[in-house]
Order: sequence, then C-alpha cells, then structure tokens
Amino acid sequence: MSVLRPFKASDMFKFNNINLDIWTETYGIGFYLSYLSRWPDLCCVQEAPTGRMMGYVLGKAEGSNAEWHGHVTALTVAPEYRRLSLARRMMALLEMVSDEIYKGFFVDLFVRCTNTVAIDMYEGLGYSVYRRVREYYGSLGIGKGGRDEEDAFDMRKPLSRDPNRRSVRPNGREMIVSAHDVS
Amino acid sequence: MSTAALDRQIRPIYDALDTGSNKSAIVACNKLLKKHPKNELVKALKALALVRSQKVEESLVLCDEVLEEKPTSDAVLTAMMHVLRGLGRHNDMVTMFEEAYKQQPTNEELGVQTFFANVRANHWKSAQQIATRMHKQFQEDRYLYWSVISSVLQAKDASTPKTIRTILYKLAHRMITSSPTPSYLNADRFHLHLSILSELALFDEARKLLDSDVGRNICATSLSCNEVRRELWKRQGLVREEGERAEKLIREKGDRNWLEFLAVLDATFYCLVISPTTLEDAKKECATKAQETRVLFTRVVEEDGCKDRSGLLALLELEKRARDHGVSEEPTRLVDLMERYFNETGDKVCCFEDLKPYTVLGSDEYCRWIAFLESVPSTFSSTDGLRRLINAYKFLRHSLSSLEITADMESARVALYAKKYMEALPLGSDLPTTELQPADDLVLLAGNTFISLWKLTEDDNNLFKAASLLEFALTKSKQSFLIRLVLIRVYRLLGAPSLALEHYRAMHVKQVQHDTLSHLILSRASTFSLAATGELTLATECLESTQIYLSNSQETGDFVVRAFTGEKYSQIPEFILFEDRLENSLQRDTVKVEHLRMRLTHEPITSDIIDMELIELKFIFDRTHHDNRDFDILPSYQPRISPNLNELTLLLGKPEGHGWLATFLQVYIRAFQQSSDLDDTVEEKLLIGDRPKQTADCDRHLSLRERLCEQNEEHLKTLTSDELAFVHYAGALADWLEPYHDYTRPPPAAVLAEAAKQTELKTGHPLKGIDIPLNGASHGHKKDEEPPAVRDPPELVAKHFEKLKIRFGEVQSKSPVDVLHVATLAQEAYLLFIIESLRFKPASVVKVNKLSGLVSSFKCIRNGAISVLKEISAELIKRADLEGTSEHRKCFVGLEELDPDFVLGVAKKVIDARKKVFEGIGKGLGRIITTYA
Repeated sequence: MSVLRPFKASDMFKFNNINLDIWTETYGIGFYLSYLSRWPDLCCVQEAPTGRMMGYVLGKAEGSNAEWHGHVTALTVAPEYRRLSLARRMMALLEMVSDEIYKGFFVDLFVRCTNTVAIDMYEGLGYSVYRRVREYYGSLGIGKGGRDEEDAFDMRKPLSRDPNRRSVRPNGREMIVSAHDVS
Repeated sequence: MSTAALDRQIRPIYDALDTGSNKSAIVACNKLLKKHPKNELVKALKALALVRSQKVEESLVLCDEVLEEKPTSDAVLTAMMHVLRGLGRHNDMVTMFEEAYKQQPTNEELGVQTFFANVRANHWKSAQQIATRMHKQFQEDRYLYWSVISSVLQAKDASTPKTIRTILYKLAHRMITSSPTPSYLNADRFHLHLSILSELALFDEARKLLDSDVGRNICATSLSCNEVRRELWKRQGLVREEGERAEKLIREKGDRNWLEFLAVLDATFYCLVISPTTLEDAKKECATKAQETRVLFTRVVEEDGCKDRSGLLALLELEKRARDHGVSEEPTRLVDLMERYFNETGDKVCCFEDLKPYTVLGSDEYCRWIAFLESVPSTFSSTDGLRRLINAYKFLRHSLSSLEITADMESARVALYAKKYMEALPLGSDLPTTELQPADDLVLLAGNTFISLWKLTEDDNNLFKAASLLEFALTKSKQSFLIRLVLIRVYRLLGAPSLALEHYRAMHVKQVQHDTLSHLILSRASTFSLAATGELTLATECLESTQIYLSNSQETGDFVVRAFTGEKYSQIPEFILFEDRLENSLQRDTVKVEHLRMRLTHEPITSDIIDMELIELKFIFDRTHHDNRDFDILPSYQPRISPNLNELTLLLGKPEGHGWLATFLQVYIRAFQQSSDLDDTVEEKLLIGDRPKQTADCDRHLSLRERLCEQNEEHLKTLTSDELAFVHYAGALADWLEPYHDYTRPPPAAVLAEAAKQTELKTGHPLKGIDIPLNGASHGHKKDEEPPAVRDPPELVAKHFEKLKIRFGEVQSKSPVDVLHVATLAQEAYLLFIIESLRFKPASVVKVNKLSGLVSSFKCIRNGAISVLKEISAELIKRADLEGTSEHRKCFVGLEELDPDFVLGVAKKVIDARKKVFEGIGKGLGRIITTYA
C-alpha cells in the first residue's frame, strides 16, 4: 500500500530515511534538479500513507536512432520498506512512460555483477543482460567479490517499439566492454 | 591592431580564468588595458578576475565603468553576468540586459537573456512583459507560455497582495486560451493550463479538457497532470465520479496506487459527508455502499495474496471509517482485521507503522488485541519469526498506559529486550558486514526504554547503559544509522559531544542533508564549543554545514532557467519553492547564530566584526524562516501517551526553533547596533549587493528598534531558565547604555568620510556616490546638547554575575550539560558586556563626552564578572581532573549481558570526552578573562 506520485524538488528535505542507507548516494542538489528539469515524468516517489517516503526512482531518456531508450539512473527503497514490490511498481511506471511518451526502443540499467538479488528481480521483470561493463564501479582494485565487485551488467528490456527484440541478445553476459564505451 | 590580433591576446585571459589563475588573468588584463584603455571586454574580464580574488572594491569600480557604457556585445554581457552574480547585484544585471535589448530590439537571444535576468531576480512582472513582447515579435509559442507562467509566479509570490492574485490568474488564463496551438500538445503546458483553471475554479472548462481523449491520455501517463486533475475533481465535489474511476482502475487495470483506494473510500462515505436530508436514509445508503466496497477490496485481497498489502489495509481503513461514521455493524471486525493483517505481514518491518493508526481501541477490543500480541511466540528460529516478535513488542510498548510506565516496569522491559537481542543475534551472524542485522530493532527498543528510565529516575547511568548497549549493537550492525542517531542524542545528553560528532560524521551527512540533519550536532552547540581555546572543530562544522546554502544560491537559479528552456512548467514553481526553503532555512540561521556565539569567544571583538555581523543579522531578522529539520528520522518507540524520542532527548529539555532564533537575534542585533557606528543611511551607501527581500511577517508599522525590544511570551517560553536570565540581562544592559551610545556615536557624515578614506587607501579610487562635507567630519566634534546624566547600572546588570555564581553552585549536582550551559552563558554575558562597552574604551571618547562616571561603574561590573568567571573556570578544570579518576569510572555500570571490558572501554571514552570539554571550556574562560581584563 503506497502512494505513487511525482518526485518533487522539496522531496530532498524528506529522503533521509532512504539516503542514509549506505547503498544510496546523496548527490549535490544540481543532480536532482537536472533530472527534474529535463525528465520530470521519469522521476517518481512511493510514499506511505503517513507521508513518509519509501523509495524513489530517477530516470532519463537518451541515445540516438535505434539506441533511443529510457534509462534507470537511481532506484532505491528505504531499508524498512524492502520486500514489498515497491521497486517493481516504480519500474512499471518508468517503462510505461519510456514507451508511451518517449517512444523508446528499450529501457536499460546498470547493476553490480555481485548483486544477485537485484539481478534476479530485474530478470523477473523481463530484463536480460546485454553486456558486461568492465570497471564500471571504479577500479579500486579487485575486492572480496573479485571482478564481479567492480563490473556492471547493462540490463535491457525491449519496449513495444522493438517487437522483434533487436535491443537484447541471449549471450549478453559474454559481451564485455570497457566503462568508457558506455554513457 | 586588428580585431583578430586582439582576440588572440584575449584568449589567454579566458584560459587563466577557466583554470582559476585569477592573478595571471589580472596581469594579462592590465597589459592589454595599457594599449586599449577603453576596451569593455578586457575591463569586464578584469572585474571578473578581481571578484574571484575577493577584491570586491576594485572590481566595483571597473564594473560600474563597463555598465555606464551600456554594452551590447555577447562576450561583454556574459562576462558581466558573472561579475554581477559574484557581487550579488541581480538588479543591475536586469538593467544591463534591458539596456542592451532596448538598443537591439530584434536580437532574439538578447531578449531571452533579458527574460532570464528577470527570472533570476524574481521580477515576474517585467519577465511577463518581456515574454509577451517576444511572443508578438518572434511568434514562438513558448514565449507565450513563458509569459503565462510568469503571471502565475507573480501571483504566487509572497509579496503580491492577495487582491491582485486573481487578476493575475485571469490574465494568465486569457493568454493561455489565446494560444494558437492547444495546451494539450505537451503535458507540461497542459499541467500549467489545468493549474490556472483550478486556481480560478473554472471547473466546466477544466472538465472539457479532461474529458477529451487527449486529456484522458495525458492524465493516464503523467502523474503530475493526474495530481492536478484529482485536486480539481475533489474541489468540484466530484467525489463519487472519482470513486467510480478509481474502482475501475483497481478492478480492471490492477492499479494499486493507494490514492485510488482512498478515492473509493471517500466516495463510499460521501453521502454522510454532504449533510444528508435524513440521516437514517443516508446511513442506510452508506452501509450498502460500504458493503460493495468491502466486496471490491476482498476481491483485491484474494487476487493479490501476499504480493501486495493494499487490499487488506484498505479493508482496515474501510472499517475504521465505518466506525467513525457510526455505520459499522460488526463490533469485532476491526480487531479481526488487525490480527489478520499481523498474521500476513507481521514479518515485515513496516507492519508496525501500517497498523499504528488503528490501535486506538475500546476496552474489550484492547484486551483482545493485547492478548493476541502477547501470544506471539517469543522463541524464534527464523528472521520472520523474529520480526513478528519485534512488531509485537513495538505494539505492546506503544499501547502502554501511564500506570505501566514506572521505573520498575521499564527496567523489566529493558531487560527483556536486551535478553531477546542477545538471543536473536546468531540469526544474522552470516550476513555480510554491509547488511543491517534483523535484531537491530530490539536494541532500538531497549535504547528508547533506557531513555524513558532516565527521564523517570534522572539517573545518568541509564544513558550510559543505553550507550554501551547501542555501541555493542553497532559492532554487529556497522551500517545502522538508526543506532547512530540514538547514540548522538545520548552522548550529547551525557556531555560527551566529541563522541556524538564521531557518529554524526560516520553517517556521511552531505549536501542537502546538512540542512535537515545538522541540528543533531549543532543545536545549542556553543555549549560545547572550545573555540575560546582555539579548538575550532564545532565552529568549522558550522561553516561546513552552510556550504549547501551557497550551492543553492549559485545553482538552483540555473535550473529554474533550464526548466524554462525545456518548458517543464510543472517544475518551475517547485524549484522556486525549494530555493526559498533552503535560502530562508531556519537551520541555516540558527547555525549562523551558534557560529557567531563561537566566533566571539575566538576572535578579538572589534568594530569590524560588529559591523559585518550586524548587517548580516539584520537581513536574517527580516526573513520568514522555513523549518526543514528532520526529526522524524529518529527511531521513536515510546508509548503513545509519552513524548517521543526527539522530545525526550532534546539538549537541556528545550526545543530550538523560531522563538529561540528570534530572541537571540534580538539580543545580538541590539547590542551590535548600539556598539556600531553604522546607521541605516550609512549602511545603505556601503552595501554592495542587492538588499534581500524582507519576507518576515511582522508589523510593518514598527520600527526596527521597536521590533528588537518586543517581548514575545511564546518565544521566551522556548528558552531554558538560564537563557531567559541571559536575555533579561542583555535587555537591561542595552536599555541602560542606549542613551550614552546614541550621544557618543559619530554622525553619519563622519562615518562615511572615514569609510571613503579607507577605501581610497585600499583601492586608489574614491568611494562612489558619497559626498563628503568639507568640514564637520572630524571626530572630536562639539555637541550642542549636554551628555545624558550618568545613571547607576540596573540591578539586572549589576547583580547578574553574582546570581550566576549561585546558579553555578546549584547545577553542580546536575548533569554535566547543565554545568556547561551555565558556564558558557556566563562567558557569553561577559562578552556581551565587552561589546556594549567597546565604544567607551578610548579615554578621549570618555573625556569629550563627559562619561567618566559611566566608565567607573563599568570597572565595577567587570571586576565582579571576572572574579565569578575565574571561579567557574577553576571549578571546571577541577572537575575535568576528577572525571579522570578511577573512582569516577566506577559510576558507570554497564549491562550484565555485555563483556565488562567492552563496557569499560565505552566508559573510558565517555570520561575522556567529558574531561576534554570541561577542561576546554574552563581554559577558554581563563583566556577570555585575560584578553578582556
């Protein structure tokens, strides 16, 4: 049970319960404002009936020609509201807007290769690995999780404008590119 | 020289500016200016380099020269835009672009820049006029929409009188309907159109737009348009239609947005809300409706299962509302549903928050609910079981009655929570260190209970126990910011501010979070500040936390402009609101005052500091403040009838807020104003940037002096008794000295002449716009009137330090924070006296104004104050030594569950932190006594 509503600039005053968690980064105000000043319809919040923020998603539309797509920049849910399918619903909205308003060919996102929970979830939502991006999360040396720690999977899901599923491929996990090849 | 050659020589200046080498930029400009003394661009670039190297006065001269030339070239305008922004002169920027646009009225880019200059300065009326003109001339739709939203923003501006607002909305409406293309071509234009119709209550017109196919489509894909639509329908009383629409979405589209469920619920009870003809019929109708809604929600529950909890919660809300309206037929249904909800979602953390609104129950139901919670198994083999138990504990604690909140019972509870916590720890032992432990909430419950016990017993040992248990929990759950939050509050209460700061820093608070969270560490921080000894940790923390306000004033305006360029009209009012909330943040100015209090203990008190702070504080005094502080983040698990965790753990038991800020501003502005030579006319001449808008909601008929002397009982109530005594003392001191200050202060002309002399010495240019009279500007002027008769100091002043001595003796037996509070306020009272008496320090001033009688009573007060401060200082240093003894360490008793060595470690840290602050404040006082002996 949650309210789905647009992300507003003043939500920055309210997102501490989400952003104090170590997995969520707090950026400068310019970061949020730049998303809101260009793709406000790809940014939304889930809120409890008490008005407490539960999670939010920030997205953008980018690419050219057949690469024109919706991109999930940040998707986060406060620790106390996990396991409630909130992410699923925010993704559904972002996909719908990417499809109907922006007429993108697909939606994509990056996820740490070690984050199996998230990868499973995205696969459940219809995403598949398109390629593996080397050292996407900084090259601070190989950590506990080996290469998986710093590499990212670029995962994609085709939209209605790509009925032949040209934007995805079955062997994505084997396609390796370096970080500066992706935007 | 050809233009190309000049261009080539100018390029390195840009490079130097881009890389931040302002010095070499200035050198390069000077070289070029020798050959081309009239070149506007070089002058503008030099002005920019000067501003960036903080040489404001020199930059001003060049800046004004360029402005007088009324530049039109793109390069000069751009450079000047940065100069003026750096100087805070937005109004001059507007004039500059307007002049340029006037000279080249066909230059579209100049028109756009002029429009944006007005936007940045919030000049909505001129912005609207420019946009209208541009629309006529360049025939682009977007200029029409710019004009529309400018009118809307003018209507929303706080300074616009209410009577004009409707006229402005009507104007906006007329313009938007005159658009050659319909607004629905773009969701943000549509949004703007709808909000205007909503403001003017033009419901039929709105309906027409919304009922069209395009309108429907937009609302189906745009959350923000749908938000306005919802609002419109509600205001129009279309509650039933909204309910039907929502029902369809829930039923057919599987929509689970809680707003849709609320719409169905509102529609269900609508017949009872709209004053029905006969209550009985309406109740009957409502009961039927409720039954239908129940069927709908039950179907949702069946469809979703445990995938989504909306259905079940909607059933609960339905039952609660039915009860509130007296149409519930099943007395047991509510608790049935609560139990069911608990059974299905009790393993989720949010179960407690979800059900909390429904837990106000009649006595039979209450007993049943409590019995149900008590039957939740207290043994667990899985995290799901553990979460159920935790949720049950939270509910049980939440519903405690006052009879159940006694020291004994709370002790028993805390022991239970701690025991269960230890038992539950193994469940999370395999989790990576980056994960939160499932048992954390048990420790938070224990922490809350220890704090409640501390309130009941006033025994600081309870705080220490809380600290040691929470510290232990943090070794198990390294990323738990909730544990850190409670620790921060506990350490401050224990008088161990450095430990609180450590935890605060470990939370990596950054960017906008400084505004919402810095109160945790900076509220009344001068109580702990060691700035007098030169240790500037807290003072620096104050400055760091204010960086965000600088980014706000530099960046947010740019994004407003970007939203205009991208035509994201739905965002523009939101951005402006955001900017305003940060710019006029209560926390910002509270920190400002705390920092000032620290600064005065550290830097020598001179007229420079006083003048500068005076101007800043006066601006702050004219603001309407927004409270953005986040207190909800503190995990409060206190009984419903008790104060929450925030209220329980406020330093010195008093909240800091609007009243506190206003009172301290009054004290300092009044003292600084008396001590300063700047009166309003002088200030006006010397001010460089734009004067900020006065937004404070005050009686405009009152003079500043009257506003400074106003006593607001509500405000004073928020102070501690010691702060109140300080404020009374400050008022009496100012009242007493006012006539002497007014008599002695040099006339404005003399002050300006002095300022002009200083500027000329510094920059080689005279101060602009100031005519200095040839005579009468000297210091030793003769006065026509006699000096005011010297009066003895009022008792509030004469006896203040004596009273402080007694008070300091009283608080010895209390918490360290009370001791430090009294000590630092005594120090502050003395410094305020120094500020107030600074003017009368030079013997010549005293002689000329015949004030030797006054000065001799100063000596008396000063000697009395110093002897008291000396005693306090010595006492604090003694106490610091005492903290370190092993005797003292024994006072810290930990929990039996914890390893004694671990507890000892925590005790040692607390003792060291206390020792440091006692010693630092004691020594700092000593320094201040020597500096101002």
